[in-house]
Amino acid sequence: MDLDNHFLLYESLLAKMVVLCMVSSLLDQRVRNPFEFYAAYYPPIYAGRKAYTIEELMDSIRKVDGYSIFYHVFHPIFSSHVVPYDLHNDFAFWIRDELHDESLAYKVSDVEGTEPRTVEQVRDEILKILESSQNRTRANKPFHFISCRPVIYDTGKRAWSIGEFIDVVSSITMRSVVYHFVFRRVMGYSSRNDFSTWLEQEFQASTIADRLSKIDPQTYVNEEVLREDILSLIERVIYS
Amino acid sequence: MIEKYAEIIGENELDAIYRIAEKLKGLSVLHINSTPKGGGVAEILSKLVPMMNELGINTQWKVIRGDNEFFNVTKSFHNSLQNGSGNVNDETFAVYEKWQNINASEIPLDYDVVFIHDPQPAGLIKVRKKGKWIWRCHIDISNPYPKVWEFLRKYVQQYDAMIISSSVFGREDLTIPQYVIPPSIDPLSVKNREISRFTVERILRKFEVDPDRPLVTQISRFDRAKDPIGVISAFKGLKKHIDAQLVYLGSPASDDPEGDQVYQETVKAAEGVKDVHLLMLPPDSDLEVNAFQRGADVVMQKSIKEGFGLTVSEAMWKRRAVIGGNTGGIPLQIIHGYTGFLVNTPEEATHYLIYLLRNRQIREKIGQDAREHVRNNFLMTRELRDYLMVMLLLIQG
Repeated sequence: MDLDNHFLLYESLLAKMVVLCMVSSLLDQRVRNPFEFYAAYYPPIYAGRKAYTIEELMDSIRKVDGYSIFYHVFHPIFSSHVVPYDLHNDFAFWIRDELHDESLAYKVSDVEGTEPRTVEQVRDEILKILESSQNRTRANKPFHFISCRPVIYDTGKRAWSIGEFIDVVSSITMRSVVYHFVFRRVMGYSSRNDFSTWLEQEFQASTIADRLSKIDPQTYVNEEVLREDILSLIERVIYS
Repeated sequence: MIEKYAEIIGENELDAIYRIAEKLKGLSVLHINSTPKGGGVAEILSKLVPMMNELGINTQWKVIRGDNEFFNVTKSFHNSLQNGSGNVNDETFAVYEKWQNINASEIPLDYDVVFIHDPQPAGLIKVRKKGKWIWRCHIDISNPYPKVWEFLRKYVQQYDAMIISSSVFGREDLTIPQYVIPPSIDPLSVKNREISRFTVERILRKFEVDPDRPLVTQISRFDRAKDPIGVISAFKGLKKHIDAQLVYLGSPASDDPEGDQVYQETVKAAEGVKDVHLLMLPPDSDLEVNAFQRGADVVMQKSIKEGFGLTVSEAMWKRRAVIGGNTGGIPLQIIHGYTGFLVNTPEEATHYLIYLLRNRQIREKIGQDAREHVRNNFLMTRELRDYLMVMLLLIQG
């Protein structure tokens, strides 16, 4: 290696180190308002309705409360809430398992849950899909509607910087991530997920915030996959 | 005690329990059921009550008393609620009422939260003075005998909430909240904790079971709902193909006067069938249950009616492939083809017995998935947390 090449290599390493130092100082920058991590469980409550046909399913989807739509469409993010890996919500699972209508099941499975949609838009879209169905099958086993109420608790965890935020998100219970990233937004308590709101407000980190907003939580059936995707998205933006 | 579960469920799950319980500290809670030993309810309470105390919630457990006549009545209630048919009259209801009054006069009921387990003590609600009352229904009430349900419903409707084991048991004729909380098993109990292969084999040999030959086990009371005759029939079908052994292990329970009769019927059905071991052991034979589940190549729970069927989760936790009746709470535990197999007839049970005994790798894969499913959904710490949450929701209004 000649002297020029040595110099070029040195310059390149130096540039990388400068970038890393800048990133590091950005990650450690502390703000006045920390992110407060709460978490929630959603004890299921029988909603007093069951459906044997598409018609009955639509009737109940129209009438149940928003918590019920959340429970059947978004709660399957948790792997403890069993749905097959290739279907994303309870309605789709039942349509395939009991009405044997795969095509309809896939449509209902892939309903969009991205921001700024709430359970009300999701409800409307599912109804629209079901209205177009010609399926007249009567199931052997009915769909039992379940609702829920959140039990929210403070995890005691706080993040004062983006670095701390990443550390907490990587280790905290997914009950917290889903509460802030999914539940509050889809139930209409906030118009945007809490992570994006905080990153935007405290750090003006609009690129990360906007990209996080584009993750569709409805298509996850394993909470750890959602965690990985959130973290790797943040990492990509920071180091790009 | 609760901290011992950390290595099984993880620190985050444990932390959630502590933080939710913090909001309930100092509350007085009473659980009431009908038997101190035998059956899933007593087993759950024997663990749940000390755990709640450890969390700072002052919790007590009382057992109602009754004579044979009363327990015959409550057994007939139990059967008619699960089977949809029955034979009751005004006298039946009078016996039930009489013992509700006796127990109400003997058991102090001044608690912040009272959990009443199953129909036997459900009528105590009529003497409620204070607190939130929750009826915890462990049985399938989706298709009850109307006369008995109507009688019971008048009481149930007076509660602040009801807890059912599966949404399948939900009632549309009640206006109180119906929380869905599956029961659970204790992974650290003598019945479920790891034991050595040596212990397993010693116990199998003690009951003249050959550890080197295929073994099928069903652990449940001698109760028609558990279909012991169907188990014998499925085993007969299996015997035509594989030289297997069957252990049906049951225990007497003080609130089940029919057990002896069903045991005799099962003995009769098994006459002439080789390698059938019908064991009636004391209710506290936990180590034996553990050994027979671990020693089994396939575990059955071929119920035709079931509240939940905790023995399914017990066997699944031990990585056993389970064949279960397609009823009650069993389909919540067994996802057909993934965590076990669901059957409707003895012939179907025979089919899957042969399939599983012939395919060791499939047995092991199903067993592994079954264990994870139980870890996520059917361990005692999850049920404890659910009870805390229901209390919190009711108290907070």
